[in-house]
Amino acid sequence: MVLPTLLTEQSNALERDGPMDARHELVGVEDVSRKFPLDHSDVTALDHASLRVSAGEFLAIAGPSGSGKSTLLNLIGCIDKPTSGRILLDGVDTSKLSPAHMTALRREKIGFVFQTFNLIPVFTASENVEFPLLVQGVEPRERRSRVAEALEGVGLAARANHRPDLLSGGERQRVAVARAIVHRPSLVLADEPTANLDTRNATQLIDLMRDLNRTLGLTFIFSTHDQRLLEHTPRIVRLCDGQVVSDTSAEGGRHGQVLASCVS
Amino acid sequence: MGKFLLLAFRNVFRNRRRTVMTLLMVGGGVAGLLLVGGFFAFMFRGLRESTIHDGLGHIQIFTAEHFRRDEVHVLDTGIGDWRQVAASVRSGSHVRGVAPRIEFYGMLSNGVKSSVFMGSAVDPDAERNMGFSPRMAAGRDLGGNSNGEVEALIGTGVARSMSVKVGDGLTILAVTADGALNGIDVQIVGIVNTGFKEVDDRYLRITLPSAQRLLASDRVTNLVVGLDATENTDKAAAELAPRLRGLPQQMVLKKWIDLAAYYKQVRTLFSGIFLFLGVIVFFMVLMASVNTLLMTMFERTREIGTMLAMGTPRKWIVALFMLEATLTGILGAVAGVAGGNVLGMLLNSLGLHLPPPPGTTVDMHFRVLHVPSLMIGSSLLVVVSLALASILPAIRASRLQIAEALAHV
Repeated sequence: MVLPTLLTEQSNALERDGPMDARHELVGVEDVSRKFPLDHSDVTALDHASLRVSAGEFLAIAGPSGSGKSTLLNLIGCIDKPTSGRILLDGVDTSKLSPAHMTALRREKIGFVFQTFNLIPVFTASENVEFPLLVQGVEPRERRSRVAEALEGVGLAARANHRPDLLSGGERQRVAVARAIVHRPSLVLADEPTANLDTRNATQLIDLMRDLNRTLGLTFIFSTHDQRLLEHTPRIVRLCDGQVVSDTSAEGGRHGQVLASCVS
Repeated sequence: MGKFLLLAFRNVFRNRRRTVMTLLMVGGGVAGLLLVGGFFAFMFRGLRESTIHDGLGHIQIFTAEHFRRDEVHVLDTGIGDWRQVAASVRSGSHVRGVAPRIEFYGMLSNGVKSSVFMGSAVDPDAERNMGFSPRMAAGRDLGGNSNGEVEALIGTGVARSMSVKVGDGLTILAVTADGALNGIDVQIVGIVNTGFKEVDDRYLRITLPSAQRLLASDRVTNLVVGLDATENTDKAAAELAPRLRGLPQQMVLKKWIDLAAYYKQVRTLFSGIFLFLGVIVFFMVLMASVNTLLMTMFERTREIGTMLAMGTPRKWIVALFMLEATLTGILGAVAGVAGGNVLGMLLNSLGLHLPPPPGTTVDMHFRVLHVPSLMIGSSLLVVVSLALASILPAIRASRLQIAEALAHV
């Protein structure tokens, strides 16, 4: 996979400021609960969860369906608000922000990758990647340059003018990754990014994300229940019934034990 | 902005079948308005020109006292030195001719039956020079091949009620300027069908000298001015008005529209009908479009959620939906204008006729005029309808909960 060159400035900053600065706390989840009303009762999707993520981490949130993975990502990504507790992003308590400020925060600091790619079907690959820059108001020449670099970075320069329906699943998800990083966010959130990919494409995608994480210091938090991916993930937070049941930063074998014990 | 417009444009054609249906509906509305409006415009134009050329003229000149006159002594308030006034007016630009008239009333009799008439006395040559010719049902116009008899034209209704025909004689009775009853014998040289039964039942036309002899006066009631084109009426009136000042008698100038009460009534009635049709089209487009756009919003819920997740301002989503609807409206309007014009040309080529409208006795041509202002108005109507229709779906789309929208299947 071709490594991206688009984030040269970010990469240089990482080298200039050194690894200590890159390891500051980017995300803080403090005793967060999220309940959803259902008929006459509440369903608890997240139950007093706490978590800290440093800048530059590559973190997987694992757990079975309904364990609260997507809810946690939505809360960290400022597209939902907790029922109780607080979410800190770069030290800012996002649960107290107005909708407009949350929108601005998402626009500036967060990139999203979705399970079903969620590309705009009437846009080409390059136009999809360009969209976050358009929303940010980046001028056209700068947009073109950054889009080209982002697509080259994910190995899709040759497919820039193809619409999503002419791309394979793996290509679509790589376009989605390019879209998530093109505006140089602090944090990339990926909700089950490999769920719709075969093994080869899933592995390639995780390798790509890991490369971006290592090279540019981009912080990745992704949810998955794919054992293949977890084996290559340095830190795994395990959710069960909305609660954080484990948080391990270990080698692949030990992750396997943690998962096995959760399943049992 | 360019990309945003591009996104809106491509979204319009996303579901082609639905777009085609929407364009058919919008275009059909526009085409319908153009056909109906174009036909009404043809009717208005036809009625306007027939009103003018049947004798009303483009401009009429009266004395100021005319409108306060005694109905019996019609020439008491007539124009005395009408030749001087006519000469002054005749030199105006756009003026094709000036004709003196006497409008008078009286009785007709053939010895067996009598009938009331509304008569006009004219200078046939001056009338013809301006292109004002009565619509002859039988016989000929005044002033041709006269054998010394006093000639008269009567309406078809008069001919029918008095059982007379071309070549028959009649006696006309009227009150002179002195208040005495006077009469002259005339020969019917033609029968006129004005198209309006009420007029045909009272119509009489004789030459000016005959009427002046009958009414014992050299005056005329008014001067009728014919122009080169109806569109020049305002310009010509503005030019002629100063020329009428300083004359021995105070004169009043009236444009045809001020005197054409029937034309104004017809125009008001049909404009009301057209407005009603416009309202129907407006609501038809509005209701159908709201439904279509809500369906579109529902189908694109996840995409909207994705855009919102990426930090797209909610007002952008509103703008996107409104832009898409407006583009659809513009495309529909273009299709409608094109379709309406083609259909109009097709219908015009068929040479269709309609039965006589109420109160008239002449078949009507069916013709559709291509009126630019109507095309612009109808197009604006549907574009505004669609833009308004998009407000509700646009606001609903912009207010989607992002997490729920992303989970939408």
